[in-house]
Amino acid sequence: MNLTACIRILAGVMLAGVLTTAAAADSALAGRWRLDTARSSALDGWNAADLVIARDGTKVALTYHMTWRATKVAATNTVDTAQTLAIKDYFRIEQRHMAVYPRPGETAQVSAAWLDAGRTLRVEALVPVEISQGNTAMRIYQEFRLLEDGATLLLIELHNTRHRPLVYHFTKVPAEAAAK
Amino acid sequence: MKQRIILPLCLLILALARPAVAADAAVPPRQTAWVMHFDGDWKNASGLPEKAMLIGLQGLANRTAPQLYIVHAPDFPWEITGPLADFYRRKHGVEFTELKTADAALQQFAGCAKGYVVWDTAVMPTMNVAYTIAGLEDAIIVTPALIPLAEKHGLKKIDDLRGRYDGMTDTQIYAEAKGRYWARCNHDMIMLMGGHAGDMRIPGIADWGVRQRMFFHDLSGNPAHSDEVALAMQFYGEMNPGAFVFGWHSYAKDTEEQHTTLTSTFGLRMDGLQSLPNHSFNCQFTFTQGFKFANQHHVDRDAKLVPEKKVYMAFVQSDGIGLGVWTKPGRGRLQLAWGAIPSWLEFAPAALEYFQESATPADYFIGGLSGPSYMYPNHIPADRFDGLMKEAVRQMEILDERVFEILDNSAADGNVGNADLTKETVDRYYAAFPNVIGFINGYGPARTRDLRNGVPMVSYDYYIDPRRPREEVAADLDELIALNTTRPYFCLVHVRESNDVNSLVDVLKQLHGPVEVVPVDTFIKLAAGNKTYTTRYQLPTDPKTFEGFRKEK
Repeated sequence: MNLTACIRILAGVMLAGVLTTAAAADSALAGRWRLDTARSSALDGWNAADLVIARDGTKVALTYHMTWRATKVAATNTVDTAQTLAIKDYFRIEQRHMAVYPRPGETAQVSAAWLDAGRTLRVEALVPVEISQGNTAMRIYQEFRLLEDGATLLLIELHNTRHRPLVYHFTKVPAEAAAK
Repeated sequence: MKQRIILPLCLLILALARPAVAADAAVPPRQTAWVMHFDGDWKNASGLPEKAMLIGLQGLANRTAPQLYIVHAPDFPWEITGPLADFYRRKHGVEFTELKTADAALQQFAGCAKGYVVWDTAVMPTMNVAYTIAGLEDAIIVTPALIPLAEKHGLKKIDDLRGRYDGMTDTQIYAEAKGRYWARCNHDMIMLMGGHAGDMRIPGIADWGVRQRMFFHDLSGNPAHSDEVALAMQFYGEMNPGAFVFGWHSYAKDTEEQHTTLTSTFGLRMDGLQSLPNHSFNCQFTFTQGFKFANQHHVDRDAKLVPEKKVYMAFVQSDGIGLGVWTKPGRGRLQLAWGAIPSWLEFAPAALEYFQESATPADYFIGGLSGPSYMYPNHIPADRFDGLMKEAVRQMEILDERVFEILDNSAADGNVGNADLTKETVDRYYAAFPNVIGFINGYGPARTRDLRNGVPMVSYDYYIDPRRPREEVAADLDELIALNTTRPYFCLVHVRESNDVNSLVDVLKQLHGPVEVVPVDTFIKLAAGNKTYTTRYQLPTDPKTFEGFRKEK
């Protein structure tokens, strides 16, 4: 066996290891996550929120289950880590007290990628919104980070228009509880 | 010749008379009244029964003259009871004698009652039925434990509700009571005695309901409670045009939005809250001699302002003047518009005079909410709209107000739905208020906007929740400024009543960029000067959480 062959085999083993780790990590993101409101940025207009993450190949479905008193809203953003998508009615966690409204029927340009050996999902979206001066777009950058304990998901959200990040802590909902 | 003599003589008489008139105005005639100081215990199992009895007694004591006033604990929702008592002392010559106990109150006023009605804390609607009877029969309401006290003061049992309503639903109870009492009750006013549920109640406005012989209920406006809604609709449908619904909805049964939609559907005027105290006392005072409202306008009615290329911000508090920030430190540090409660012209004029007297140069009064009382205009019947708004216009003229505020939250719920006006509703407002300089719409943010003949209609772009961290409020406002890139940008902000003005001043210091806070009338005039906002009404496609109630023909 020559040196080149050895390097190829070693590289292959290492890549397989990385991919396995990544797959394990990004599959660890899958499941139902519950917002810890006490540790999160103030979420006006919603009392509670669950986030359900599901992976299918390069596609990742992010489903938000939002609750305000008896009102419940569910919405899914399905992103693709292999390509930029135009997603219709892209869901954005709204702050009730701001006059910034979604534009029904319009599409957001959305890209996504796995980072940090699959422990972080990065999503970038250019989201159309309506404001009092008319229509504009908000650039939203999100990182869904799996923390060391594997039971906490941190969502950090930046807007090109906001000087403070929004930080949401989610805790894993056990599978049997999530199934109910 | 005679005229030459008569004119100077008249002038001389007038000159001599003037000091006497001035002296009369400065020193009002003395009148006596009694005052009680309540603590903050409104638990069903402890403080409520005695307070409920005393508030009902207050309604009877104040039937023909203002005799009994209640000063509430510092943490009571209406924080003006103490300052207003001082106002009565200073401006109306009221000399209050304190009654320290229920026994002392009955010693003084038992003669105003003909007997007592027993209610049952285990069946809470019986408190409302008892109050209804109290108004009709001149009774006080007591729990069994208070019977000896009532009888000690010579009062006899008029009715005993124990057992009568056991096992019945609220609908059944109020339907039965409707059959017994409604025909004799006031049909210009009804009492929605809701508010807290569970282990406490705050029936602060019961004195007013007893004095005016109203029917008391806490029926639901929640469509899920169809039987309660149907009965409430029977009551509301049988009330006289322009009638009032005093009190507030039950927090356990429905939402403010649902019940206000229901009352508006009948063109009724909602006047909150269930805790509002001393209306039976307040209604018997007029303005002091020579008093006239003089709002502190910052721009002429016909002024045309040219805005600069910057951000203009204005703040409004419309939750009910007398709740929250008025008596707290910090008022006056921020230009703030206040929604004065217009029906108090009729029911509590001295309170409105107190607000005018204690206003700082930074306080400005606006009209509303939506009509002569709190209403949702998208649901007001077309044949009632103009009559109601004529009354609102009259109120605004007396109160020297030029800006009118509108709210329709019937289709809003949290982040879902909207708080906007249909174009038809907007058309009606422009036709009904020819003399306003502008309209404000919303509570939380909304997006109804217009500009017609120099009169803008502007919605709130932001609502300050008192619980929201101040650094997030500053970030929110900065984000709105960043999103609305055209200058001038007009950012109208609604301030909830429990906010602390000092903290709002701190928020403003945190904002980035050139922001000028202006009084709301100036803001309105500037918004008329350069329309950088879109024209928009509620669209049929906008999300709605509730379409409204359907009345039976």
